[in-house]
Amino acid sequence: MSNTAFSVLGLFDSSQQLMEAIPSVKAKVSARLNAYTPYPVHGIGKALGLRKSPVGGMVFVMGLIGALSAMAFELWTAGIDYPLVTAGKPYLSWQSFVPIMFEVTVLFACFTSGLGMLFLLNRLPFFRHPMLRSKSMPFVTRDKFALAVEAEGQALDVDAAAAALRAAGAQMIEVVEQPAPLAPVSPNFLMRVFSVIGISCLVAGCLTYWGVKLFPVTIPMVHMLDQPRLDPQQENSYFGDGFGMRMPVAGTVARIPLPYAVKSQNDASALGNPLPRTESVLKQGRQAYDTVCAVCHGLLANGEPSLTSAYGAKPANLVAEKIRNYSDGMIHFVIMNGKNAMPSYASDLTQDERWAVVHYLRALQRALNAKDTDIPKESRK
Amino acid sequence: MNSEAVASTNELIPEILRHPPVLDGVVTPDGLDDQVLSTVERKPPRAWFIAFTCTGIAMLTGLGLMGYTAAMGIGVWGNNIPVAWAFDITNFVFWIGIGHAGTLISAILLLFRARWRNSISRFAEAMTIFAVMVAGLFPLLHVGRPWLGFWLLPYPNQRGIWPNFRSPLIWDVFAVSTYFSVSLLFWYLGLVPDLASLRDRTRSSVRKFIYSVLSVGWRGSAFHWIHFERAYLIIAGIATGLVLSVHSVVSFDFAVSLVPGWHMTIFPPYFVTGAIFAGFAMVVMAMVVVRTTMNLNHIITMYHLEVMNKIILTCSCLMGYAYLLEGWTAWYSMNKFVHHAFWAYIAGTYAWAGWLTIACNVLVPQLFWVRRFRRSYPVMLLVAFGVTVGMWFERFVIIVSSLHQDYMPSAWHLYKPTYVDIGILLGSFGLFFTLVLLFARVLPVIATSETKAALPGAQPRHAGGSYE
Repeated sequence: MSNTAFSVLGLFDSSQQLMEAIPSVKAKVSARLNAYTPYPVHGIGKALGLRKSPVGGMVFVMGLIGALSAMAFELWTAGIDYPLVTAGKPYLSWQSFVPIMFEVTVLFACFTSGLGMLFLLNRLPFFRHPMLRSKSMPFVTRDKFALAVEAEGQALDVDAAAAALRAAGAQMIEVVEQPAPLAPVSPNFLMRVFSVIGISCLVAGCLTYWGVKLFPVTIPMVHMLDQPRLDPQQENSYFGDGFGMRMPVAGTVARIPLPYAVKSQNDASALGNPLPRTESVLKQGRQAYDTVCAVCHGLLANGEPSLTSAYGAKPANLVAEKIRNYSDGMIHFVIMNGKNAMPSYASDLTQDERWAVVHYLRALQRALNAKDTDIPKESRK
Repeated sequence: MNSEAVASTNELIPEILRHPPVLDGVVTPDGLDDQVLSTVERKPPRAWFIAFTCTGIAMLTGLGLMGYTAAMGIGVWGNNIPVAWAFDITNFVFWIGIGHAGTLISAILLLFRARWRNSISRFAEAMTIFAVMVAGLFPLLHVGRPWLGFWLLPYPNQRGIWPNFRSPLIWDVFAVSTYFSVSLLFWYLGLVPDLASLRDRTRSSVRKFIYSVLSVGWRGSAFHWIHFERAYLIIAGIATGLVLSVHSVVSFDFAVSLVPGWHMTIFPPYFVTGAIFAGFAMVVMAMVVVRTTMNLNHIITMYHLEVMNKIILTCSCLMGYAYLLEGWTAWYSMNKFVHHAFWAYIAGTYAWAGWLTIACNVLVPQLFWVRRFRRSYPVMLLVAFGVTVGMWFERFVIIVSSLHQDYMPSAWHLYKPTYVDIGILLGSFGLFFTLVLLFARVLPVIATSETKAALPGAQPRHAGGSYE
């Protein structure tokens, strides 16, 4: 009996001899048998009594998870988290999500099969396995077939196993020794390992920080900002006066109303709304409001927008008392010049549209703060 | 091996239907190892260095021009509206297609138990991986700012928006990246037992360390092989669906749009066939070079080349059918824009490319009806080269000819490539063949453990009969 032997190997010349040896060795020794072969030998699992591979079931489960998670993710992103209409399709247009669902299923299934087989079922990588140090290994990965009587942590009767293998026709017998147990790790070594890991993390962190911060804006990655053109008000030596911009030709007439010469919101309060409060003006105001303003201030102007919370800033509630007390001119001034996070909409709306928006906003403010007296007498109960 | 059993089964089969031997002469497992695995241990011959220098120069030219494109923007290409897709997307579709033969050989032929695949599967799989790597460069360059390519992936960002999963271009991102990672995994799994063989035969300690790490301690245990075979078969089964899906998804980039000449239901099968066609042509060319320069005539035999040439002939006939059907679809559509696109193919400015496509893809491969031509080096190199040229021009015609005259005559525009376009095309071939040459020197070009398992006498007889 030996306590240090991991296994006893017998080498055979062909798979046929190996298969014939298995039953005769099995009859003589009680320890577990294993075989090492250069390629898969058909029927060997059955002869050794190994269980069937569970890889099929694993692949099925993970493939299903891949399919369901891909579809759920696509439905959630495209239909719930940030609903966008694309090509007039409904938000939850599952048909167009099928190709990606298929690809993700394949990805999950194949990686489960391949890596699950290698790392989970075959318990690799395993560099300290005693077999890898044996003299027989180079023969096994070349053209010989090894039958092994393995100790599995028990004491192994080396002589009996060797005799059984020899009787079964093995050309070469080798006793593979259990490797010496690893020495305990010294604190000094652990210290060094942890400091190396720590320094690597620090360096990687700094590099990532600077990489992310600087890399996308380093030349040539300047996002089309660097263009051969003149920006407004830019200096240029081409003309004698040194200006890049030119004055309009003498006698040029403006085609749009000149901007109001108001400097502040208080100055603007004096401006009155030049448009009459007719149905067509209100319709024009609604059209412009829904196009430009509603995305932030909400369709009801109550500051509850369709915008996702990811936007961050909180748009103003335009039906609140503060804004209701603004004069028309002050509201117009904000549309022209912006306020806080809101940019100027002067170039998005014409002057008439801006005043129409003011009228429409007044209608919304009144509708959301309606009094009983606003209801026509004949409709009251 | 079980010679009586083989003889008795063979007697039942008429001679003309019997399988010819896959390998020439006597091949033994140790002889196979010595020949295939020793190439990675020897110094490469002079011819290899000459070839490597040529492909390396082409590769560097291409990479330099790619860098120039990234720095200057894609204005240095000939692309201009309406021909926004030109050489870049042509190259992308072409190279993705080249990869398909490898997956077909490794996955579909494994399922069909076509034993001749063993000798060529490793090389063809490597070509798949390199072709997809080359292909992947083009959409990245095409977007103009390749360093922002990660925007195509769904990751939580501060804008709170996600990619448009209804777009075939995003399907493409998923299809191509899945295809690449699954091909790489499949190739690596097949390599593990061979890397273990290399680990155990090398004498250099540096090599031993590298091969030990790469082969993750593979020891050929019976229970390893049981899981391995099962997993390998399952991946092959799934990859079969994958290989059919990838070029279908690429074809959706075209077919889902409304461009006349693209919006056709025939596109997915047409693209998949074309991909396999071009891929096999590339494999045939590579195999002729490999078997002659690496002295592997008895392992990659004339039989292998002939079988692949038969596949090329089949695909060629299917391509001819697809071209005819394209004309028929145009006529049947009763749509004058589609009619116009079809006339542009055969009589427009780019008609020369259209006719070159038909000549190279449909007419020249018909030589393979003759057995003598299927087994002749000059003829098969001619046909394979012709198919490669023809398939590249097919994609060029589909893309440029359809785009240059679309619905609005005021926007019509002729496309002319610049030197940057041509240099990058050249560079893509340089990059591909540089990678192939490196692979042929550092890894076994033949799947030795798979080939050993299929040698005569490799498997034991048992009750179920023979595997021969």
